[in-house]
Amino acid sequence: MGEAQRLFFLFLGALLIYNILLIRFIALCSFFGVSTRMTTSIGMGLAVIFVMTMASAVSWVVWNYVLVPLHVGEFLYIPAFILVIASLVQFEEMVIRKISPALFRAMGIYLPLITTNCAVLAAATESVKPGFLKLHIPYRFSFIESIIYTLGVALGYTIVIIMFTAIRERIEGAPIPSSFRGFPIAFIVAALMSLAFMGFAGLFGL
Amino acid sequence: MWIILKAALSMAGLGLGLGIILGIAHKKFAVEVDPNVEKILNVLPGANCGACGYAGCEGAAEAIAKGEAPVEACVAGGHEIAEQVAHILGKDVQRKRKPTVSLVHCKGGKSKVSHRYRYDGIPSCSMAQQVASGPLMCTYGCLGFGDCVRACPFGALSLDGNSIPQVDVDKCTGCGLCAKTCPKDIISLVPKDVPVIVFCNSKDKPRIKRNICTVSCIGCKACEKVCEVDAVVVQNNLAVVNYEKCNGCGKCVGKCPRDCLNFLELKA
Repeated sequence: MGEAQRLFFLFLGALLIYNILLIRFIALCSFFGVSTRMTTSIGMGLAVIFVMTMASAVSWVVWNYVLVPLHVGEFLYIPAFILVIASLVQFEEMVIRKISPALFRAMGIYLPLITTNCAVLAAATESVKPGFLKLHIPYRFSFIESIIYTLGVALGYTIVIIMFTAIRERIEGAPIPSSFRGFPIAFIVAALMSLAFMGFAGLFGL
Repeated sequence: MWIILKAALSMAGLGLGLGIILGIAHKKFAVEVDPNVEKILNVLPGANCGACGYAGCEGAAEAIAKGEAPVEACVAGGHEIAEQVAHILGKDVQRKRKPTVSLVHCKGGKSKVSHRYRYDGIPSCSMAQQVASGPLMCTYGCLGFGDCVRACPFGALSLDGNSIPQVDVDKCTGCGLCAKTCPKDIISLVPKDVPVIVFCNSKDKPRIKRNICTVSCIGCKACEKVCEVDAVVVQNNLAVVNYEKCNGCGKCVGKCPRDCLNFLELKA
C-alpha cells in the first residue's frame, strides 16, 4: 500500500467508517443541541474543523516532546490535553477577533462551546493514541497522519451534523404525533442514520 | 515519588508556558471596543428582530455608536429607547416616531369562511399559499397557520380559537416582522392611538364576499355615509379608514351590518 493510499484510507476511515457521531456516539450533546437551524450547525461544523485540527496538532507536539520523554503520558494525557485545548481555543478566539471580525461573528459564539467538547478531546487523544485500529502492536501516528486523521473526524462531524439538521428542519413541519415532537423524533432519526452509517463498515475491506 | 514530582512539574511548566503565551497574545491581539456600543446594547430591547435593517441588536448598536445609524434606529424600541440612546451619545432625538401596532385585517378564520379544499400539508401559511392561494374561498383572508405568531420576537401575537392572530397591544412594538412574513399582506402597521379598524382585506365583488364569508365588508357604504369627517371611504369594494382624518367618534362601528368595523380596544 502506497503512502498516499494509506493516508486516504485513514481519512476515509475516520470520516465514514468510524464516524465520530453516528458510529462512536461521541459529542452527542452538541449534535442534538445546535442542530435545529442550518446556519448554526454550519457555523458549529466549521468551528469544529478548525479547532479540532489545531488541537490535535498541538496535542501531538505536547505528547511526543513533553509527555513521552518524561514518561508521564500514560496517566497525564487527559489533563494535559484539556489544558492545551482550552488555552488554544482562547488563543484562537483572540487571534480571530483581531484578524477577521466577520469570521469572529460567524464562529465566535461556538468557540467557547468547543473548549469543553468531548469530540475535540477524543480526536486529540486518538491522534496520539490510535484506539480504533485494533492492532496488536502499539502504533504511533506521524504528525501528518494525525492531522489527516483529525481532519477526517472533524469533516465527519460536520457532514453528519449538516445532514441531521436538514432532516430536522424538514421534520419540523411534518405531521408527527405530539408525544414524539422535538427530541424523541430527533433521537429516532439519529438512530436510523446510525444504522445507515453501519453500512460503511467493510468498505474497502477495512 | 520521583514520578509524582515529574508529573506535577511537567503540568506546572505546561500551564506556565501556555499562560505566558496567552498573556502576551492578550496584549498583542487586544481589540479596542467602543464602550458606547455595550452601553447602547444594554438599552436596546435585545430581541434581535432586525426591523432596523442591521443583523441583530449588536449590529445596530455598533452602527449607532459609529454614527452610521441615527439614534432612533431601533424601530421596536420607539421613542423611549431612542431618548436613552441619545442620552448615552449626548445627542438629541431628531424626530418623534408615532408608536405603531400591527393589526390583522381579517376576522374570517376557519369557521366563518367556506373552504375550497382540505389542506393536509405542512401547517404554515407560506406553504398553504403556494397551493392555489390556500384552502379558503376568500383568497385575501387569513390562512390561520400562524406564520406571524412564529415571526414575532416579542410574543405579542397569538392565535385565537378561530385561528385568527390576535395582537397584544401592550407587547407589540411595531417592528413589522409579522407584516413582512404574512403571505396575504393582511397585517398592517397602524398608529397605536387609532380608534377604528376595518377587519376585512378582500377586494372581491360584494356578491362573492357575501356568499363565502360572514364577516366580510360588502361595500355597502353605511360607514361612509355616517362618517362626519369623511375618514371612511369605500375603495375597490372595501372600506378603508384614513387614520389622519378619523377622530374616533365611533358612529360607523354600530352601523356596519357585517360586524367587520370595530374599535381597536375591543379587538373583536
